[in-house]
Amino acid sequence: MPIVLPHDASADGHLVDGVIGYLTLTTGLAFVAVLLFLLIAIVFHRERAGRTRAHHTHGNRPRDRALTFAVALVMFIAIDLTLAARAAGELSGRFWRYPDADPNALRVEVTARQWSLTFRTAGPDGRFGTSDDVVTLNELNVPVGRPIYFKLRSRDVVHGFYLPNFRTKIDAIPGSTTRLWVQAQEPGRFEIACAQHCGVSHYKMRGLLVARPEAEYRDWLARAETDSRLRTEAADPATREASGAWDWETGR
Amino acid sequence: MTAADGVATGGGDPSGSRGGAEEIHPAPTGFLRRYVFSTDHKVIGKQFLFLGLSFLAVGGLMAMLIRWQLARPGVPVPIVGNLLFGRAGGVISPAAYTALFTMHGTIMIFFAVTPILIGGFGNFLVPLMIGARDMAFPRLNLASFWTMAAATAVLTASFFVPLGPPQAGWTAYATLSTAIGAPGVGQTLWVVAIYLNGASSVMGAVNYITTVIRLRAPGMTYFRMPLTVWGFFLTSILNALFVPVLAAAMVLLFFDRVFGTQFFVAGSTVGAGGDPILYQHLFWLFGHPEVYILIIPAWGIVSDLLSFFARKPAFGYRVTVYSLIGVVILSTVVYGHHMFTTGMSPLLGESFMVLTMIISVPTSLLFLNWLGTLWRGALRMSTPMLFCLGLVFTFGVGGLTGLYLADVVADMYLHDTYFVVGHFHLIMAAALLLASFAAVYFWFPKMFGRMMHEGLGKLHFWPTFITLNVVFMGQLLIGYAGMQRRLYDPSAYDFLRPLLPLNRFISHAAYLLGASQLIFVVNFFVSLRWGPRAAKNPWGIGTLEWTVASPPPHHNFDRIPIVLRGPHELGHPAAWALGKDWLGQDEGPERASADDSTRTRTSPETPPESPS
Repeated sequence: MPIVLPHDASADGHLVDGVIGYLTLTTGLAFVAVLLFLLIAIVFHRERAGRTRAHHTHGNRPRDRALTFAVALVMFIAIDLTLAARAAGELSGRFWRYPDADPNALRVEVTARQWSLTFRTAGPDGRFGTSDDVVTLNELNVPVGRPIYFKLRSRDVVHGFYLPNFRTKIDAIPGSTTRLWVQAQEPGRFEIACAQHCGVSHYKMRGLLVARPEAEYRDWLARAETDSRLRTEAADPATREASGAWDWETGR
Repeated sequence: MTAADGVATGGGDPSGSRGGAEEIHPAPTGFLRRYVFSTDHKVIGKQFLFLGLSFLAVGGLMAMLIRWQLARPGVPVPIVGNLLFGRAGGVISPAAYTALFTMHGTIMIFFAVTPILIGGFGNFLVPLMIGARDMAFPRLNLASFWTMAAATAVLTASFFVPLGPPQAGWTAYATLSTAIGAPGVGQTLWVVAIYLNGASSVMGAVNYITTVIRLRAPGMTYFRMPLTVWGFFLTSILNALFVPVLAAAMVLLFFDRVFGTQFFVAGSTVGAGGDPILYQHLFWLFGHPEVYILIIPAWGIVSDLLSFFARKPAFGYRVTVYSLIGVVILSTVVYGHHMFTTGMSPLLGESFMVLTMIISVPTSLLFLNWLGTLWRGALRMSTPMLFCLGLVFTFGVGGLTGLYLADVVADMYLHDTYFVVGHFHLIMAAALLLASFAAVYFWFPKMFGRMMHEGLGKLHFWPTFITLNVVFMGQLLIGYAGMQRRLYDPSAYDFLRPLLPLNRFISHAAYLLGASQLIFVVNFFVSLRWGPRAAKNPWGIGTLEWTVASPPPHHNFDRIPIVLRGPHELGHPAAWALGKDWLGQDEGPERASADDSTRTRTSPETPPESPS
């Protein structure tokens, strides 16, 4: 029963794993030091015959204070500041640098509802909410090696769009549009989970992300355009919102 | 320093305590006035304590049911299954499961920990420790308890309404908690119960703040207050400032549910233009300070008890106090880390990340001071000390794991997983429980006039400490492996299926944890009735509550004490001259042996505590 992180299938998941690893190392060391200190105090500074008097100090001398402040400061710099600087760089450089200008990115509109996910990608015309959209329920097909750019909405309650194999998640919130981008590095079938309690059947709100090599993906897309078994509803412009489509750019 | 100096600097009791001839109200004699609608802070404290302990048992049993479902999804619950879930053949249904974790969280936070520590020990200890005869507003105190009692009644009623108890989680995120996700009356009753609970907390907070500011005995300067009192004082300030924010959220949610307003309602299903995120802002603007509202009294108690049982003064008393104040201030500006996954703006996200990390500075100062207190002490391993040392351990793990969640990058993965559950349970369940038990074992003699059984106390400590850590560290591991919170049946996901054995192991540890609490229950009630009579000062401590009888008389102090020094004068050279290792806070030269020259010469025995 090895307890490990889920398999990392993403381009950026290793950054998350790196942070978690660094934290485990540094906080682990700090905790071991605390534990040793505690053990020494408990074993050797216990009241017993021959040791009835504690060392009397209020710990208020400048030296005492300087020592505690120094340890706290070293901890803060080694763990907190280091991580904050690292996170700021990774957020602005990768996670929060959305591929708005990337024509190569696959854009996906996600509509969450109790208790399913609808995925919509634009058809050959490149526009959302038209009759050539590919709309699928709970299963999303994506190409390997291209950015996948999600915009998410919810029709009822707050849901959590969670990709364990991509080390990330974002909430889908009624009344606003949130976004997320990932990139699959290898083909495979990866689970999409709901992370936010969304009602009685929250535990069954499960989706599947199927990553295919580019050629295979194109093949699938061509079939989906004609095979109604591969997709759900076609977009009816009159009921765009109800069928989970909106204007990608304006979010309306 | 003379007594007159103390009066001048301390501010103290304005009610003519200097002469000691003030009027003392006689104790009420009727049963109702004495035990039910009492205005005596000691009785109200015990009422809160019993209410809190009862709900701790209820919330704990709910946790057992939750663990059963996670260990054996869909298997009928043994023994109580048919009684509780008869219609489902003894199996916990998804609806029952959501109700269980909702009520478990609600009960533990609002109806167990809050009443035990703040209502119970806060009430009992604050006046006694600062040398006052009662709270500043005894009748407000009475109202506070009975408002809390009303809240528990409303919450309990939610079990018996159509569509059942609330199921939106203890955070009750809109829009799940509005009519969209929770049409039943149960959720409305939940809102009312939380509102009443908050009203009770605010009444208590106003009372504690006023009491500490106005009713300190002569000479009890702020920097001579026990750290326990500091804890309750600072917690009350947070309570008074931030519980009203929760109340505001509850009022708006109530309006949304009952009057059809749309503050939090949005989405194409209803075509409304409210904002569910507003609810999260309001909730966490209260909710993060709430974490500190609960833990700061525990920190105060542990800071005192570590000093008492290490038989030396608390290390860096002033730094500890300033750290607590720093935590209080910072706790108001970090709540955004609960909302990293709501797509907040990058500037906001990074700001909340850095602010959250800064809070680790005062926290580590506090923690290092605990270690400093223990170092070169003469540790007495009594039961309260064991629980305090246990808290130092679990708080270490709980605090450090908080860093993972403060970091936005790691949080993207760990948010809403069992890692979060493990982290906050290590603090809000493990550390708080250990502190509560330490407080019960330590002050039981003063509260009830009898000693608890030391051997049973230790027998209670070891399984409790070990299983608490196994359960919650196990949850950290489960979260690390990716399992989300609030899942009825994790086996719905392929990637979670390998975790079943670990979940089962955690559940077994949890059952053991639950069972070992029976030792405490037996010890508590047997000692209450048959425990050996407690002396005035069984632990040999200098704070004021140990200068009066156990249990204290109705009016606490025959004469308001005059405080001469800080609360931690243990192992003081002047005390050794008297043949003991502690000095009472009010222990004056007249009580010392007059011929002892070392005693009479050193009137300001506490150079660090002289006001600066």
